[in-house]
Amino acid sequence: MWTSACSAHTLPHVEYAVGVDVGGTFTDVVVSAGDGRITVAKCLSTHDDPADGILRGIGTALARADASPGHVTRVVHATTLATNAVLTRGGERVAYVTTAGFRSAIPLGRYARVEEDRYDLRFDPPPPPVAPQDCFEVPERVDARGEVLLPLDEPAVRTVAAEIVRRGITAVAVCLLHSYANPAHERRVAEILRETLPGVVASFEIWPELREYERATTTIMSAYIGPVMSRYLDRLQERLLAIGVRAPVHVMDSAGGVMSARLASRRAVATIESGPAAGVLAAAAAGYPDVISFDMGGTTAKTCVIRGGRPEITHEFHVGGKGSFGGRRAGTGVPIKMPAIDLAEVGAGGGSIAWLDAAGALRVGPRSAGSAPGPACYDLGGEAPTVTDADLLLGYLSPTSFTALCSPRTPETPAEAPEALPSGEHLDPPSPRHPDLRFPDHRVPHEGDLRFPGHQVPHEGVRPERPDPPQALSTELATKAVERHLAGPLGVSTAEAAHAVHEIVNAAMGSAVQVVTVQRGIDPRGFVLVAFGGAGPMHAARIAARFGIGTVVVPAFCGVASAAGLLTGALSTDRVRSMLDAPDPEAVFAALTEAAAADLGVSPGAPSVTVTRTADVRFTGQAHDLTVPWTGSPADLAEHFHARYREVYGIAQRGPIETVGYRVRVTHHPGDRAAAVFRADPPAPTAGPASRPAYFPELGGYTEVPVLTRSDLAVPVEGPAVVEDPESTIVVPPGWHATRSGDGAVVMRRAGG
Amino acid sequence: MSDALTAEVLRNALVVAAEEASIVVVRSAYSTFVVEGSDASAAILDADARLIAQSMATTLMNSMALKVALPELLKDLPAPTMRPGDVFVLNDAYRGGVHTNDLLVYRPVFVEGEPRYFTATMIHVSDLGGLSAGGMAPLATDIFLEGLQLPPVRLATERGVEPAVEAILRANSRTPDKVMGDVRALIAGTAVAATRLAALVTEYGPAGLARGIDDYLDYTEARTRASLADLPDGRHTASYLIDDDGLDLGVSHTVRVAVTVDGTAVTLDFAGTGPQVPAAINSSASQALAAAVFAVRCFLDPTIPMNDGCLRPIDVRLPPGSLLDARSPYPCGGRFVPIYAAMEAIFQALSDAVPGRAIAASGILQPFSIAACDAPYWIHLSYDFGGVGARQGKDGPDATGVHFGIGRNSVPQVEPVESRCPLVVESVELIPDSGGPGRHRGGLGSRTVIRFLAGAHVTTRGDRLRNPPPGRAGGLPGRLGGFFRRRLDGSLERLDSKVNNVRFAAGEAFVVETTGGGGIGPPGTRAHEAVLDDLDAGKITPAGAAADYGVTTHRATPN
Repeated sequence: MWTSACSAHTLPHVEYAVGVDVGGTFTDVVVSAGDGRITVAKCLSTHDDPADGILRGIGTALARADASPGHVTRVVHATTLATNAVLTRGGERVAYVTTAGFRSAIPLGRYARVEEDRYDLRFDPPPPPVAPQDCFEVPERVDARGEVLLPLDEPAVRTVAAEIVRRGITAVAVCLLHSYANPAHERRVAEILRETLPGVVASFEIWPELREYERATTTIMSAYIGPVMSRYLDRLQERLLAIGVRAPVHVMDSAGGVMSARLASRRAVATIESGPAAGVLAAAAAGYPDVISFDMGGTTAKTCVIRGGRPEITHEFHVGGKGSFGGRRAGTGVPIKMPAIDLAEVGAGGGSIAWLDAAGALRVGPRSAGSAPGPACYDLGGEAPTVTDADLLLGYLSPTSFTALCSPRTPETPAEAPEALPSGEHLDPPSPRHPDLRFPDHRVPHEGDLRFPGHQVPHEGVRPERPDPPQALSTELATKAVERHLAGPLGVSTAEAAHAVHEIVNAAMGSAVQVVTVQRGIDPRGFVLVAFGGAGPMHAARIAARFGIGTVVVPAFCGVASAAGLLTGALSTDRVRSMLDAPDPEAVFAALTEAAAADLGVSPGAPSVTVTRTADVRFTGQAHDLTVPWTGSPADLAEHFHARYREVYGIAQRGPIETVGYRVRVTHHPGDRAAAVFRADPPAPTAGPASRPAYFPELGGYTEVPVLTRSDLAVPVEGPAVVEDPESTIVVPPGWHATRSGDGAVVMRRAGG
Repeated sequence: MSDALTAEVLRNALVVAAEEASIVVVRSAYSTFVVEGSDASAAILDADARLIAQSMATTLMNSMALKVALPELLKDLPAPTMRPGDVFVLNDAYRGGVHTNDLLVYRPVFVEGEPRYFTATMIHVSDLGGLSAGGMAPLATDIFLEGLQLPPVRLATERGVEPAVEAILRANSRTPDKVMGDVRALIAGTAVAATRLAALVTEYGPAGLARGIDDYLDYTEARTRASLADLPDGRHTASYLIDDDGLDLGVSHTVRVAVTVDGTAVTLDFAGTGPQVPAAINSSASQALAAAVFAVRCFLDPTIPMNDGCLRPIDVRLPPGSLLDARSPYPCGGRFVPIYAAMEAIFQALSDAVPGRAIAASGILQPFSIAACDAPYWIHLSYDFGGVGARQGKDGPDATGVHFGIGRNSVPQVEPVESRCPLVVESVELIPDSGGPGRHRGGLGSRTVIRFLAGAHVTTRGDRLRNPPPGRAGGLPGRLGGFFRRRLDGSLERLDSKVNNVRFAAGEAFVVETTGGGGIGPPGTRAHEAVLDDLDAGKITPAGAAADYGVTTHRATPN
């Protein structure tokens, strides 16, 4: 927890923990010293070899911290490598081996046609992750109880192995029917294949859960991205050693846990949502028990519910899935059956394009201008009006935001985080001194509390182009775009059109809040909205108001949230076993715990180790199950299940239940590590409040409002107001007031809220 | 002004209200069809029975039912008799319903003391009687054999479910607890949507909401008309064959349509369609309407919202007492057979009108149920898909649904089924050479082999198993599938396409082969590389390559 006390014990030298988040555009590095000092560096992501950017970032941050690389005790990493490999189909060619009779299963797929695809006669199913000719079968059969119906034909396995070798394929996924119940055949197939093939992954090793299709795709994706991940992490570790960082590299998993590089290579699919998970951990660390994290970037907005300080976890998600209104529709994308922080995502952000459809209705998104050509006001050639253009015209954004962002800093410059551009799209500002590292790093010279801005995981998987950035935002171009494409055809003023765009995108992003709260039976009103991401703080209060949320928190440094969040993750891993009402659940849990502890290299009984047991429970005969805590008492289990059922479905049902799965999460909390503590400096006072006109319909339109910095918020300030700092622009609407909390966050509260 | 400019916000909120109802129903229902196949619909309507919004995943076969049945409900139970908290139910197929197993549930939403809107949900419940468990009664000769008929009745009040209705539902179901679980899910879904709608009434005001909805429907109508205007004017006719009615195997039946595009409107006249028959191959009007609307929409902008505005320019004429508008007591349970024929006929007529977007005929879904002969009772309801017809310019997808836009995610997986039922699925595979040959090949059919570990009753409801889906423009038809019994000695016996409770012995296997889609263009004009790719992928055999395409070479070592 950020708020826990700093370690006071004296060390012979200060130890450093390093968080590294590699995003689509920027690589963020946070160095946390044992004595509480924080140093942050930000540099361009290097896509050909992400390690280049990481090394540069770490080197810079350590130099700024006057830290010796040898004193780094911990490196925690979030990477989009796995996600991008899946989305861009940039992984290894995989051969798939399954039970005889089922080689068509993967080519046939289990895709859904959703929304407008359903009316599309020219719809083509998504291409399968393995080509039909690379799917092989071996005679064998195990039944649902794990009993062998047909022994494994080992010579057939060898024939298959030889053919895979002949084709030059090195990655193999093995998924036999009912291997979750009895992995003997699958284990033997893997053994034989491993005699001649290096990259063999078996489903029982990855995630032995019932339902062969999802188990197979999870295994295939492991085989597909594992080698890429393994090579990458090996190289990264070597290069860190070369600069003297001897600490092992840990990788965050999708559920917010941290695992060794070795385990991350073996279970690469577990890292797919590492970046978003780290961002949510950062929101969880803002110091409030019940939080809705709200991360608005250039193309997407993501939300997650955190209750009692714990983010919600899901057990299946889809990479590259689609769906409107924040719902990811089952059957789209690649299903991954692994625990992940349960995010809702909508395709709406600062770069979303506003347009008039065939019948003249104003629409926003889902197309985004991205960073190229970017919003019209960037003057990079974009002509379509975007949310950022609207925000600029409404006076929420300053035309000089860029100048402030991009000006080279001297060491005397007060701590500032040069961060996301207003749209949430990162662009590269020029730096006269560091042609390679064009974005100046910054450091926090005093103890401080770190703010948690958004990270940018490009789920679109497209590497952004990097044009030269603008020096200032062009109000003229924004006006022209809104006037020509929206206001003119609609016959309204540019301000009215711009405000409608702002409202529509707020509603769209609100649907992501709706998905994680109202649709799950959670009343959002008692929650705190923690907003980050380049554009989040500009929209957050309006979105909060839609849900009756009275408190919005904008952490201080909006640009390195995920990197900071990484340092809050504990070493942990998960295991699952599908089984219907196991006769001896304790034995099942014990075996799972032992396996998970072995993954982490810890002893299950050690005092630093905690084991969380949960069970998948359903009403007998129903198909959907819910995961609830396991205490060993059947009465508790039923109670937990009924309560969860009521919460999720809004109906109080009673009836016989059955357990269909057993899960453990083993977490290791080493006691010898000082908790990272981040505290912020009071920001330097500024020359005094400025003002500019901003558009608030409840005040009749444009109103001259104060433009403040965080330093002006020592006493509460009534909205309307705009708070600007290099991190972000915060809009305080009428009826809200803003103040700076002890840790440097801006806290907005609604009057009477 | 502001509300008009931000109309998208209200429009999305209306869809989300229906969407949330659907989520609640799907997640809390017991019915196998619902939880595996998400066979659920939810809608927001107004008191004039205008369809305002529909859940995004509404079962498109049922997309018109909730609209068509609402006036019938209001006839029997006029709005002034309704009280807040009331919930109503019906399944009457001749009054908007679908078949006896689909329950339609409505909840009035009161504005200024009157029921101004309705939220509605429907699913295929687990069982409501009839010849066969789960609602499949392929050999029913009248609707009484298909299960309980429920006219519009008050299902619940603010005090809870009406005990008399619950008693009737329970008494008529093989699975009374599951049916009541499904009913509670349906009720809960309407409650969620009603809460959202009430919030919109508060936010926009009664008049503001009504105006916003009017604008939404007008807007949708404008978009639909604009899209219709892009189709060439003209009249095109087509027909499609139904194999048989399951009872008289020697007689085929025909669905005919004349599609007339005239400016910004379209008329679909089914005059000439065969008369209703005392067998389960008739459809109720709401199902035929859904098929007609769906088929037309496949040639329009797919992003047009589904609501009353979209329906205004589409005039559907169903001959009363025909296969597409059956009257009591003609059975309606097998309605997918005639309405798939109707869709195919419209596809063919519009393919003639717009050859650049032509599609050849497809194999269809082949539903079946397998159930225990003795206690303990178990049942498995499922279907497999045929191959989709080739599209102008590209091959048809394999073993998936083109009709009503279904995907493969609703096909059950092997492991859960084997965990629940005494059977072993031996294989699920594509059938090589089953796609209709052509310049663009039809999609392949699939073969599923299910071996029984205990005696079982098999019920099927197939079609296009005698008359293969034709190709277009020189393309050949898809290969016929079928339902088969594999005897203990390994020999295969073809079953009729529609059989009821055929007894299989332990050790025997039930084989489902689906029909491939038709091809487009002469097979001889297919690109050589495409034939070789098909060989590599196992979609055609060397023999098929030679016979269908005249290709006798193949790549020495597929890579």
